Amino acid sequence: MKENREGIKGWLRPYKYGLPRFAYWLQRWTGVGLLVYFIAHVIETSNIVNGKIAWDKMLELTQTTQGHIILTLVIGMCVFHAANGVRLYFAEGGKGLGKAGRPEYPYNPLSLNNKMKACIWVSIALAALAMMYGASILFGE
Amino acid sequence: MRESNIMKIHYITGISAIILVAIHIMFRLIMPYGASLEYENVIANYKNLPYTIVLELVLVTVAIHGFNGLRIILIELRQGRVWEKSMTWLCIIGAASIIAYGTRTIILASLTGEV
Repeated sequence: MKENREGIKGWLRPYKYGLPRFAYWLQRWTGVGLLVYFIAHVIETSNIVNGKIAWDKMLELTQTTQGHIILTLVIGMCVFHAANGVRLYFAEGGKGLGKAGRPEYPYNPLSLNNKMKACIWVSIALAALAMMYGASILFGE
Repeated sequence: MRESNIMKIHYITGISAIILVAIHIMFRLIMPYGASLEYENVIANYKNLPYTIVLELVLVTVAIHGFNGLRIILIELRQGRVWEKSMTWLCIIGAASIIAYGTRTIILASLTGEV
């Protein structure tokens, strides 16, 4: 019998499960995005050991409008991942979680209380503010 | 190592990374952003020992946190002893490689002009 597993397709879908699931999805994607950026950043900055000409050539590639857009997105991913990560520390410690109850219609998840849900929105808002601040510095010069 | 201990490491490296990355970013903002990226200023950063230590710590904590996060995602997608062991070793090798490569950059850049 074929197993009823969606695999990566299920993981890629952010909708259908509400805000906590969306936060889970965003935490995963921002994590993967930040890891890709981190590896690229370590490789990119290694040009410093090849001298001033190599460094300036690398800056010509990265300090462009596209480069600044990517960096702005990285700032947003970083702030959301950090803020939502701190929320998850508390959740892991059992703080901010709802009490267990019978599954009754309309099946609102009891796992997260309103404070936790507000924290998700605050994480998103902080990420948006950081992106605006970052963009003002990157594009302001 | 027990998974609960790995998660403790994940949380400790996560909190450490927030603090260390904040210091790293502040070093880009103590002067105009464009000027902070000039070759001479970046080399001066690498010659500042406390900042070099911060850079190395950023490298180690983010690599461990990032690759362990990737391992968790990969293990969630598929189960099985061989798969889990393979992914664990793949992520250990990935983290060790990026730490080694980044450390090489930090050491060579901090020695620039001295050799």
